[in-house]
Amino acid sequence: MAQVQLKNIRKTYGNHVALKDISLDIESGAFFTLLGPSGCGKTTLLRAIAGFHQHDAGDILVDQQSIGHLGANKRNVGMVFQDYAVFPHLSVFENVAFGLVQQKVSAEDVRNRVQAILDTVQLGQLAQRMPHQLSGGQQQRVGLARALVIRPKVLLMDEPLSNLDAKLRVDLRRDIRLLQQELGITTVYVTHDQEEALSISDQVCVMYDGVVQQVGSPWAIYNRPANRFVASFVGANNFIALNQDAGREASMLGQRVDVPESVRGQIQCVASIRPEKVFVNEALTGAGWKFDGVLRQASFTGRELQLAVDVPGHGLMEALTAPAESMVALKPGETVRLGFLAADTLFFADGELGKLLL
Amino acid sequence: MTAMAQPGSTTRRSLARIDFWSIVMAVSIAVIGLLLVWPIVQVLVLGFLNPDTQTFTLANYLKVLTHRYYLGALGNTLAVGIGGMIGACLLGIPLAYCTARYVVKGRSLIATLAVMALVSPPFIGAYSWVVVLGNNGWLTQHMKTLGLAIPTIYGVHGIILVFSLKFFPFVYLMTESALRNINRSYEEAAENLGCNRLQRLFKVTLPLVFPAISSGAILCFVLSIADFGTPSIIGRDFRTLSTIAYNQYTSEMGGPPTMAVSISMLMIVMSMLAVLLQRHLMGKRRYAGSLTNLTVPKPCHGFLGVAVHALCYAVVALATLPIAIVVYTSFLQTNGPVFTGGFGLNSYSRVIQEVPDAIANTFRFSLIATVLITLAGGLISYIIVRRETRLSGLLDTVLMVPYVVPGVVMAIGFLLTFNQGVLDLVGTGSIVVLILFIRRLPYGVRATSSVLRQIKPSIEEAAVSLGASPAKAFLKVTVPLMMPGVIAGAMMSFITAINELSSTLLLYTARTATMPVRIYSAVLDGEFGIAAALSTILLVSSGLCVFVVLRFSRSREGAFV
Repeated sequence: MAQVQLKNIRKTYGNHVALKDISLDIESGAFFTLLGPSGCGKTTLLRAIAGFHQHDAGDILVDQQSIGHLGANKRNVGMVFQDYAVFPHLSVFENVAFGLVQQKVSAEDVRNRVQAILDTVQLGQLAQRMPHQLSGGQQQRVGLARALVIRPKVLLMDEPLSNLDAKLRVDLRRDIRLLQQELGITTVYVTHDQEEALSISDQVCVMYDGVVQQVGSPWAIYNRPANRFVASFVGANNFIALNQDAGREASMLGQRVDVPESVRGQIQCVASIRPEKVFVNEALTGAGWKFDGVLRQASFTGRELQLAVDVPGHGLMEALTAPAESMVALKPGETVRLGFLAADTLFFADGELGKLLL
Repeated sequence: MTAMAQPGSTTRRSLARIDFWSIVMAVSIAVIGLLLVWPIVQVLVLGFLNPDTQTFTLANYLKVLTHRYYLGALGNTLAVGIGGMIGACLLGIPLAYCTARYVVKGRSLIATLAVMALVSPPFIGAYSWVVVLGNNGWLTQHMKTLGLAIPTIYGVHGIILVFSLKFFPFVYLMTESALRNINRSYEEAAENLGCNRLQRLFKVTLPLVFPAISSGAILCFVLSIADFGTPSIIGRDFRTLSTIAYNQYTSEMGGPPTMAVSISMLMIVMSMLAVLLQRHLMGKRRYAGSLTNLTVPKPCHGFLGVAVHALCYAVVALATLPIAIVVYTSFLQTNGPVFTGGFGLNSYSRVIQEVPDAIANTFRFSLIATVLITLAGGLISYIIVRRETRLSGLLDTVLMVPYVVPGVVMAIGFLLTFNQGVLDLVGTGSIVVLILFIRRLPYGVRATSSVLRQIKPSIEEAAVSLGASPAKAFLKVTVPLMMPGVIAGAMMSFITAINELSSTLLLYTARTATMPVRIYSAVLDGEFGIAAALSTILLVSSGLCVFVVLRFSRSREGAFV
């Protein structure tokens, strides 16, 4: 259990600023996920914590003690790699024992601890196998066991599931979360998969362009995105232009709308509505707006029905509904009636990083 | 806070930077500068000096480029270079296609024989063909008794034949591995779009393996124009640049070897142009092998099967014929230089009595050079692969130089550089060791760096994050993983070192003569028994190394190219 603090971490590669003064507080025992598109700096940040490269400025503290100047081998943080990095010349047992041997743990303790952790990750029977005899999922379990067995203060994971197939990814994701909660180990996890981030984390940190865009619970990230980037990167969203005359009335898709006080007077802004909050051919249960559109495509995925509707003056709008039989029967070209509630609608200042207007 | 921390962390990093690897980098640059760059600069500069007045002149180069004697040699060199290259392609590509696409019985035997042809000393080919098709060759004699006059081996066609048979394994091994790595879907798509088999071969398959073919072909060209032993043994009046550079150098003894170095520069330029041409042709043609959905070799029966097997075995039989002849000749009974009929070990006892130092020298020099290459190669490849800086990039580029500098030229550079003061090494064993070292270092670096590139950096990082120091992580994790590649590379260095002739021929003295040098002079003196016995010793040593490489190398025959 350990608290992690990052203070003004800055990292540049030539003219490119990879990390722009990142400051984060990670609570002890938290599962903390760095989420963002490739090139956003999340892996760079993780590797700075691991000590694989020196940051240019700032400090890293674990339990109030600075580790920023220590070599990667002296930091006592466990690391799980995207490409597993299981030593191909050592058996499963020897791989997991590697860190303990470095710590000069007695042979008997090594044996007991390695066997215990291998049992925990369900590899107890495979201790004598060589890595090439293991599947990808099993190799990553070895990577996980190897990082955990040294009892690190912090566990770092760099997209550990991205090389695995979909089914396995979900299984191992659940196992990782259970194990993390059981051990109560502070974990920093990097991923570009937003569903994975939401499902596994206590706290999610969305990064873009070397800057932290938002830190919050999965619920807050999804339902109260701090800016337009977060709203579009995490989950799907429809953005609709809002036209306002300075200080006068606002209109959206040609209809007059009532907007919150904060939005009034913002000349450039957009409204956002999640596809699953769009009603299709259904009466609204509260204050909101309605539009007609032409159905372009309907795809039935079993659990739900995805609709793409062409709305005049806007373009394609996505809707996600429960698959009632009458809906599935809809044909492209038919007119459908869309609606959404004012309560489900958020407003953002315009621009890629436009702020949430409350 | 930040402003305070920054200067502190900067000092810390600049101090940390003077680490073990920085020292390695500095030493590598110094050694390569002294052993590689400086000798070549000497050669370059000397070519621009008037031998009498020591002033700048273009006259030497003008003479080389206008005088008929030199222009003739230039044309001859191009002829054997291009001829050898085409011959190697004509043998190598069909062989590669057969073994990659058909189930050929004894495929690994074919590959092993090709590798043996590759690692045998180059002039063994020339000299064996003299035994068969020379003036007194047995085939020539047999034909004569039948009243038939057949062309002898001497002259341009002989040189091209020897080069083709000697260098085709490069084309064969490179092309075969490329053919095996083609995704089957490409060819299926071509067929689906209406190509017949022949069109498919020429429109899809060959273009896809063109990068491999051209790499092999250029290597054959560069080696053919640099080769000294073959044209000097069977060339007769047909002179190439390497033979006239050698002759000029030995006849210019006393004065500065101006003409020899001017010819040398011409050879370097030719090799460089060839390499640049290949790079230009390749352009952006880099096709990553998918390593999935690979073509499966087809069984071949009936007429096709006979034809495929006949082709494969004919090519490798012809290529290994010189080896068989050498070994056979070495066991013939001799009296002095004369073969007396029957078998005996006379040649071997004469070798042991007359040139025992040559055997000892060869193994001593080669062993030292191999150890040096292995150590330096391991360290330098680590710098190049893992410490990507501008300096390591420069190092990587400079290490390309030995590929295009013929041995004769390198030897002349060494003689110009190491002839005075503390660096006076002329006539010593050290100068031989150093030239073997620098000529083969790039191959050692390439062998280890290709292994190192396949080892993911995260492996080492994992060891560090588990508490191992960077040095310990390198020793405990990276070194064991590199070992098979390092051993294979060391064996290859050793094979090329024991067979080296073109550079040592200018550097040896009575005390430092090696086996290839003795074989060369024995052939010129008509002492075929001694030559054969020495060659057999070299062949057996090379064969043992090949065995070790095949044991340790994952890609098998691929380790030889």
